[in-house]
Amino acid sequence: MNLYQPNLVRIDEIIEETADTRTLKLSFQDPEIAEGFDFKAGQFGEYSVFGAGECTFCIASSPTRKGYIEASFKSVGKVTQAMRRLNVGDTMGFRGPYGNHFPIDEMKGKNVVFIAGGIGLAPVRCVIWNTLDLRDQFKDLTIIYGARSVSDLVYKRELQEWGNRSDVKLYQCVDPGGETPDWTGDVCFVPALVEKAAPAPQDSYAVVCGPPIVISLTLPLLEKMGFAPERIYTTLENRMKCGLGKCGRCNVGPVYVCKDGPVFTSAQLKTLPPEY
Amino acid sequence: MEELRELAKKLLQEKQVNAVVGYECDRRGVRPAFVDDPAGCDRLVFDHRCVQNLPAYLSPRRTNVAGLGRLAVVVKQCDARAVAGLIRESQLKRENLVLIGVRCGGVAANPNESRELGAETLALRCYGCSGTETAMADYVVGEPKTVPAAGGDRDARLAEIEKMSPEERLALWKEWLSRCTRCHACRQVCPMCFCERCVAEKTQPNWIESSPHIQGNFSWNVTRALHLAGRCVDCGECERACPAQIPLGLLNRKLAKIMSARYGFAVTDDPSTPAPIGSYRLDDGQEFIL
Amino acid sequence: MMRRMLSRTDLDALVRDLLGAGTRVIAPVRRKVQGREFVEYAPVQNPEEIALDGSQPVRPLKQVVFPPTETLFNYKQDKGLVQIQEAPTTFSDTLVIGARPCDAAALEIVDRVMDWDYHDEFWFGHRQATTVVAVACTDSDESCFCTAVGLSPESTRGADWLLIPAGSSFEVRVVTPKGEALLESNKSRCPESDVPEAGKASSAVEEKVRANLAMNPAKLQEWLGAHFEHPLWQKIALRCHGCGACAFVCPTCHCFDIVDELEGVGRGARRRNWDACQPALFTLHGSGHNPRKDQSARFRQRVMHKFSIYPSRFGEILCTGCGRCIRVCAAGMDLIAILAEIGQNAEEAGSTL
Repeated sequence: MNLYQPNLVRIDEIIEETADTRTLKLSFQDPEIAEGFDFKAGQFGEYSVFGAGECTFCIASSPTRKGYIEASFKSVGKVTQAMRRLNVGDTMGFRGPYGNHFPIDEMKGKNVVFIAGGIGLAPVRCVIWNTLDLRDQFKDLTIIYGARSVSDLVYKRELQEWGNRSDVKLYQCVDPGGETPDWTGDVCFVPALVEKAAPAPQDSYAVVCGPPIVISLTLPLLEKMGFAPERIYTTLENRMKCGLGKCGRCNVGPVYVCKDGPVFTSAQLKTLPPEY
Repeated sequence: MEELRELAKKLLQEKQVNAVVGYECDRRGVRPAFVDDPAGCDRLVFDHRCVQNLPAYLSPRRTNVAGLGRLAVVVKQCDARAVAGLIRESQLKRENLVLIGVRCGGVAANPNESRELGAETLALRCYGCSGTETAMADYVVGEPKTVPAAGGDRDARLAEIEKMSPEERLALWKEWLSRCTRCHACRQVCPMCFCERCVAEKTQPNWIESSPHIQGNFSWNVTRALHLAGRCVDCGECERACPAQIPLGLLNRKLAKIMSARYGFAVTDDPSTPAPIGSYRLDDGQEFIL
Repeated sequence: MMRRMLSRTDLDALVRDLLGAGTRVIAPVRRKVQGREFVEYAPVQNPEEIALDGSQPVRPLKQVVFPPTETLFNYKQDKGLVQIQEAPTTFSDTLVIGARPCDAAALEIVDRVMDWDYHDEFWFGHRQATTVVAVACTDSDESCFCTAVGLSPESTRGADWLLIPAGSSFEVRVVTPKGEALLESNKSRCPESDVPEAGKASSAVEEKVRANLAMNPAKLQEWLGAHFEHPLWQKIALRCHGCGACAFVCPTCHCFDIVDELEGVGRGARRRNWDACQPALFTLHGSGHNPRKDQSARFRQRVMHKFSIYPSRFGEILCTGCGRCIRVCAAGMDLIAILAEIGQNAEEAGSTL
């Protein structure tokens, strides 16, 4: 089996997140691979629909949950549209895990602030569950999440669950105009919600993911609030094909996002040209 | 040459344009030049090595060239056909552009030609050209010149292929098109390939297989040729740019002959001539409609 | 000093032997397409087709080990169930005769990325099956600049044998164990002789190439690292058409795309195809966002990847100075002139870097 040949996975469950976003729960068909498969929070994979092609997503489930992986995706291009046409029981391909990961071990004993916008919650959700499943090893956990509108919020069931837990603080917002009459969260943009939540920077790590605008406003804001740039983490979403450092597509300056990333600190991003 | 440089200088000094697109000498021959300060105008040249079709830089997809602002462009009469084509297809407004027409005595097949212009070096597209300047020009520079006599019949190579049986023709094109690696140089240098997203890049559906295997290559090259029927300005840049040495000009030339025979259309630098694809006449041939 | 010599007649006999044994032989051959004459690497059936006169093949050798399109695997699909048929990663024996030193060196340079943590079985499958006999250059043109990137018209990098033309014969330099094996089976054809060194012709070529470009790669790399933003990029890229011609004729460019293609109902193939960093589509996100927003960003990437990114990552310049990108460019983009200009900037920047 060569590098580019995927393992076969079965779609066990399809979760409708929003009108155009779904989560697929996948399990490896080969029991040996299922048994041996392991990954770290933040790593990604190449998911494929045979006949349509491959697409790059982070693994949205937590490495603490064994036996399956999850991918959340918005239907935009050829492959994601094809993924949308698949049913439970259908076969897909998966290559991975690739790339680096969030420093979960380093975060132990510290506060962790999770900040996400829109579908950017997918890679963050992986870390959220990873820390929640090891809850007693972390100090305060804070989740700050916003989307364009109420209908654009992903992982609604989980948001509810996190909101109900006493060991995690959840702040939610939707952009002005995106609220519904029964919306109880805030109506503002993500950076404003971060300011409102005012997470303590001492002894804290931040994990940020979202559209470019959220990233570019939130990282400096966190630094202004006192977070160390070395402790603010995000993931880059450059276009990739191989995921293996060969195809030459994901360079940002000297960096190969697929090999050196996708997880970077705010301090690292400052040394890179703005090609992401 | 002085006339051209002085004119360019004047246009820049008077701020009539922000930049002049012309030709300059490089290490090996002649290449396109983008001059945005009057002092740089002394770089401009025009001679038989000025092969490139500069209106290719006017297509709206050239965002960095568009970023220069209002342009003056040096055009040979044949190049002006591309300007006319872009105007005809609403890609360009004539008033947003200054055209410097050059009197041209024919050009060589490639811009690094060190020999004099003659029957041996003359570009195919210059065969039979009268060398007159374009009527579209705002300014005309240079002395009247005569295009050297052609080295033969321009369509000799096409006639040879037309004599072949369909099987022989298929074999020949298979051999040639199997060389294509889909670098898309043919498309990128073409002034009329201005689509925002080329059909070759569409994936839903994937009309044209992107792999450079024989079916993908036929699909791409034939689609491109057909899309240029009645639109190709016959500059030959696609064939010159092709790193796989595929005689792409033959396809365009064949279609131009068909367009002429069936619709009486010949490529022209008159923008008011309607595009055959965009016009309908009662006497258009309709025998292909079942 | 004793040297091994191989006459053209014996070279032809060697080729005939190999062809007879079923080895694929690739060599520069002369082509004429509709009046255009050129030389290219192609499979030969007969040693007489081989052109070793020094004309540079218009396209590089890379397609022998990195085909423009390569099937990664085939699959069959029935009611949502998929079966994969693996693609072979071992290939039949190939002998390349008459590789240009710049083309041979490129293979070794690209080995680095193809073996970076993940071993690309296709690339190395082809590499293993291929024996490369390079021929020292007896001619060069104004686009050659191998000497500026640490190579020479007589470089043995990436070659298993290097043949140095000496009259109607060649001096044989055996470079690798694979080359030793080739010599072993052809020893009688390569007698030892005490003819004087054949380096004279190529040293004249080397002088000629040197005159095209002098470059300080370390300084260049340093300048590039510090000048991601510089007006030069905008200026240079204006004339670039944004096609992939330079990359596709480059012996070291190795970027690729991966696509699925149907081959009938319920079956298809996943392929990798050559790709290039110059077209806008290369980095376009599904959302419509493009991190490399215009041609200057894309052209900068090409220069950066070759002279800054790859050297810092793998200790090698991703360029062998073959000059094909210069010869092939319809817009007259001239890497020699560009490197010279950057080099001058680097000199002027001096210690202020």
